[in-house]
Amino acid sequence: MNTLMNIDPWSLLDDLLGTSSRAFRVVKARAAGRFPPVNVLLDDNAVVIDLELPGKTAKDIDLTLEAQAVVVADRPAETTDTETGKTTTARPAWSRRLELPFRVDAEKANAKFTNGILRIELPKADAPGARRIAIEG
Amino acid sequence: MNAEEKFTVPAATMTEKPDEYELRAELPGVGKEDAELHMDGKTLTLKTHAKYQNPAGFRVVASEFERCNYAMSVDLPEMADPATLSAKLESGVLTVTVKKRPETKARKIDIL
Repeated sequence: MNTLMNIDPWSLLDDLLGTSSRAFRVVKARAAGRFPPVNVLLDDNAVVIDLELPGKTAKDIDLTLEAQAVVVADRPAETTDTETGKTTTARPAWSRRLELPFRVDAEKANAKFTNGILRIELPKADAPGARRIAIEG
Repeated sequence: MNAEEKFTVPAATMTEKPDEYELRAELPGVGKEDAELHMDGKTLTLKTHAKYQNPAGFRVVASEFERCNYAMSVDLPEMADPATLSAKLESGVLTVTVKKRPETKARKIDIL
């Protein structure tokens, strides 16, 4: 049985709000230290995603681009068993999938770490199959 | 102080090691050239002056953290020797180390 101290305030909030509030789920996950905070900026031609990752560098993060989403995850350290020589990789401590509002051009995507902030720039892809047709005459 | 200047106290930890103290503060978005450290007596003061602007023409659609500047001051422990203070800022993490004064170190006393 729960004592007053053991009640998770977030679960109470979830009960009250019906768990549908994304904002609260984000806050909850952050409070648990599960994934880094994100800022997303948008214009007509590109999306810019900033992640706050103080102390991390490029080698600590895995970045995967899907058709219309980007997945950022921490890269777990590989451990090699001294006896068997087998290398095992732990599961990432956190992983975050961000849905994008449009398809992006994977060729022109770029990501860069500056002072502990990872910035991912994803230009919008041209509509598939669309092409300009010159009018003759 | 400039009315537009806004400072946040960074997440920081101070740890004691056998020979030194280490202060670690998270300053995401702050480069070496934007951070200022001052030592006054035994008080160490940090202030940052990073100038960040969102890329022109973009609108914010999600904002879970703020690009801000940081300020904090800490009193070093009595046993610390401010003359040995050194600091580095890498990947948005400031690490300050300060050695303990030699005379304060634990030592074995021979019994005569």
